Amino acid sequence: MWHITKREIYDNLNSLRFALTTVLLLSLMLTNAVRHLREHPKRMQKYNEAVTKSLDGLASHAADSLYMLAQQGPGKLYKKPSSLYFCAEGGEPLLPDTIEGGSPFGYAEHLRGVWKLKYPDANINMKRVGPDVTKVDWAFIIGYVLSLIALLFTFDAFSGERERGTLRLMLANSVPRHTVLIGKFLGALISVSIPFTLAVLVNLLLISTSSAVHLNTEAWGRLGIIFFIALLYTCLFLALGLLISTRVQRSAVSLVILLLVWVTFVVFMPSTLASIASEFSPSLSSEPFWKRRNQIQEELWDKYGRWLWSNEVNEETLTAKSKFFTKDAEAEERLNQERLTEKVAQVQYARAVTRFSPAALLQHLLESFAGTGFERHLQFGENTQRYAHQFREFVADTDRSDPESLHILGVREGMTKKKILPEAVPKFEDTLDFNKDFNARAMELLLLVLFVMVLLSGAYLAFVRVEV
Amino acid sequence: MLLTLIRRELLDNLMTFRFAAAVFITLLLVVANTVVLLKDYERRLADYNTALKTHQDKLEEYKAYSGYELNIDRPPNPLSIFNTGFDKQLGNQVQVYHAFVPTLWDAQKHGSDNPFLNIFTAIDIIFIFEVILSLIALLFAYDALAGERERGTLRLVLAQQVRRGHILLAKYISSMICLLMPLLVSLLLVMILLTSSRSVSLSPDDFLRIGGIVLTSLAYLSVFYLIGMLISEVSRRTSTALMLSMFVWGFLVLVYPNMILAVTSPSSPPRSQIDSAMNQMEQVWTELDRERKNFLVNDPVPGESIWFGIGASGRSSEYLIQRTSKLNVYLKNILNIGKVNERSESQIPHAQNYFRFVEPRIIGTAEKTWLLRKPRLEDIFVRPAGIDKTLLKLSPIGIYDSATQAWAGTDLNGIRDFFDAARQYRQIVINYFYDKEVFGEQQWFSANPGAVDWSTLPQFSFKRSDSSINMKRALPDVCLLLIINVILFMAIFLIFIRSEV
Repeated sequence: MWHITKREIYDNLNSLRFALTTVLLLSLMLTNAVRHLREHPKRMQKYNEAVTKSLDGLASHAADSLYMLAQQGPGKLYKKPSSLYFCAEGGEPLLPDTIEGGSPFGYAEHLRGVWKLKYPDANINMKRVGPDVTKVDWAFIIGYVLSLIALLFTFDAFSGERERGTLRLMLANSVPRHTVLIGKFLGALISVSIPFTLAVLVNLLLISTSSAVHLNTEAWGRLGIIFFIALLYTCLFLALGLLISTRVQRSAVSLVILLLVWVTFVVFMPSTLASIASEFSPSLSSEPFWKRRNQIQEELWDKYGRWLWSNEVNEETLTAKSKFFTKDAEAEERLNQERLTEKVAQVQYARAVTRFSPAALLQHLLESFAGTGFERHLQFGENTQRYAHQFREFVADTDRSDPESLHILGVREGMTKKKILPEAVPKFEDTLDFNKDFNARAMELLLLVLFVMVLLSGAYLAFVRVEV
Repeated sequence: MLLTLIRRELLDNLMTFRFAAAVFITLLLVVANTVVLLKDYERRLADYNTALKTHQDKLEEYKAYSGYELNIDRPPNPLSIFNTGFDKQLGNQVQVYHAFVPTLWDAQKHGSDNPFLNIFTAIDIIFIFEVILSLIALLFAYDALAGERERGTLRLVLAQQVRRGHILLAKYISSMICLLMPLLVSLLLVMILLTSSRSVSLSPDDFLRIGGIVLTSLAYLSVFYLIGMLISEVSRRTSTALMLSMFVWGFLVLVYPNMILAVTSPSSPPRSQIDSAMNQMEQVWTELDRERKNFLVNDPVPGESIWFGIGASGRSSEYLIQRTSKLNVYLKNILNIGKVNERSESQIPHAQNYFRFVEPRIIGTAEKTWLLRKPRLEDIFVRPAGIDKTLLKLSPIGIYDSATQAWAGTDLNGIRDFFDAARQYRQIVINYFYDKEVFGEQQWFSANPGAVDWSTLPQFSFKRSDSSINMKRALPDVCLLLIINVILFMAIFLIFIRSEV
């Protein structure tokens, strides 16, 4: 078997396609690295500046009083850009990079509610009049280019030998057929991996030697997994190539079939399936949202309205005010969340439908492991919700620790007047959870493995039964 | 002789597996996507109609002129099914207000779709043609000459009294006929789907535009066929030719368009440029503000308030709106008062005088700002986009895309037509205001003399440009494609007549 593998590799190494592949992959990976080195520091700087500004605001509110903190909230919370952005861009420019924890509603002058979480919509750039900004990320290089190359390496594996008559010769020796198949498969895999690995190495060397971008151990672990997924994905297309190549007599026909299958599954399937799924999901108008919002507010006004305008400082008034503020903020936050959930459900449904295409599977996997894209955005949302909870706990706890306070949150007179240390206020830090990513993606990884297994065994069965 | 050759080639091609597969796949993809695109168009049309109604209702809420909100909407383009272009991306409603000149960058978006769904790339029919037809063209071409050479039939043919040019021409014509089949059949199905949908109404002009798209597609196909033929002639062996054509295809269609934009990278416009533009515009408005304040100080009513001592409930706002991201500065001054008590009736002429003085000046300042703003917008937004577009045209796919956008009217020019119309409409509205002399009327700031009758306001209507204008815009790109065709054909011809068989 090793003999066959070796022969295949030698054959491939001297071929035109090997040279072209190397040039193509190297130039793509170089572009990718250069772009990342140019863009990433800017992204990080923007993030750091924004976070500093938001923390300054938090500190100034904390220095003022606990009431200000409870009213103004933590301010804008920012999504940390992933250091593996170059692996998969995943629609990041479209997804909002911030969730707002602030914006207390002003009912009237001197009558301000408390903060709540607000989720911004996707930011469609309506000012851009140039051609679409496209991406050269690993997901594109692997998903489109590498898969095409894998097909170009295997389309003539058997049909070519059959045409030349060498397949007959080889099988006339006492070599079992499966050995030939596996030998061919390994040979093709190794010859595709050589230029790919080389390109990846050059890319990573460039990125890691630059001082502007820092990759930690976890990032390297993630890169390892991404590399492994890339190989698995290549195997899928190699197996497909072998399968078609065994069944078809002429290599030209085999390539035509393969290319059409490739175009359908890789280029068109993801978008077509997604647009079919999204076209048939109901449209979300914002009207019912505003209706419900107004309805809730009216109910609250009816219930607590008569206390709102009084300036008396007694427990009844303060409690009523506090209840009004907190309930209103809670209701709005809940409605915001429901609306977001509806939107997310549509996108997730569309994403689930696209799983028929291995290219979409790869895209999802790479996004998750690179810490970008839609799933990551959801994780960011969860992080902010957890933090919001923590923040509210902190405010309540601090207030509870002061025996002089009336413990009525959301109104100045009802809360502690003690100074609080700005350092003690919990700060938001956006984190990535590796285990979570892995668990969430396990299913898609399994699907990819299954695809490979099915195609490989298909190729085996086809080859065993084929007449030479 | 030529006819015999063409007939032979045609039969050869028509009976092949690749032809059947090509037709099948193209049809499948085109039909599946057309259904989705049609549904999408219908949804956008419904959104547009809802928006029209909402905006009309909103306008009628304003009982006094001041603070009116007049929005106009851009209808979706039915040809966006062919090439979406900017039709979906750019804003489709814009406010018409006398204090600023509306542009594309002031536009908003109506519609109730889920913006998160934009993370999926949208596909239109031209994209399918771009990818599939170019691939098929190469698959038809790679063995055109190399195959015959390998089988030795080229020798046989040339042994007859056949001119070499005729062989090339016969091959070219017959393959193009074959390639035309999937294009025309899929187009036929698209047309059937389009005409069977009740919401899409195509004008005769639209059919001309579609005809233009077909011709451009033909030129595009021919470029790829000729590239394949050139490769086939140069590499002499089918397997090499096949490999080379696939890499060339991958590079031109997949890699280049993505890579070139990544390399040039759209950088955000320089801060200083924006700041200086904003400063200039603010200066113009500060000047107006000074004049305005002077007027208020010098008029008989003490104080600088625009209430002029009128005792009434209502609202007023006067502030400069600065939108750095859109490079826009304008003054919003609104006075909207309810019932006036009898004591203040005498104050009303002062307010009328003020608005009669200030509103025409605001309009004038808006025109001045527009003169400053127009070149800056071009510099900051349009020119970099133009450079990107030009770079993309180094690949035939870029030329094809831009030409079909121009035909469909979904290119930047097509969208800007709408905003030109919006600017004209603003002028009409202003003239209407002048004609009715509303600036000096009490109705400008109060509904006391009766609510404003908005029904006499001229309606806005937008018609897409004539097909002749579309043609004028598409022609440079179509010519480019044709020139590439001629060059490629000449190159093949020169190499072929000089080559040994």
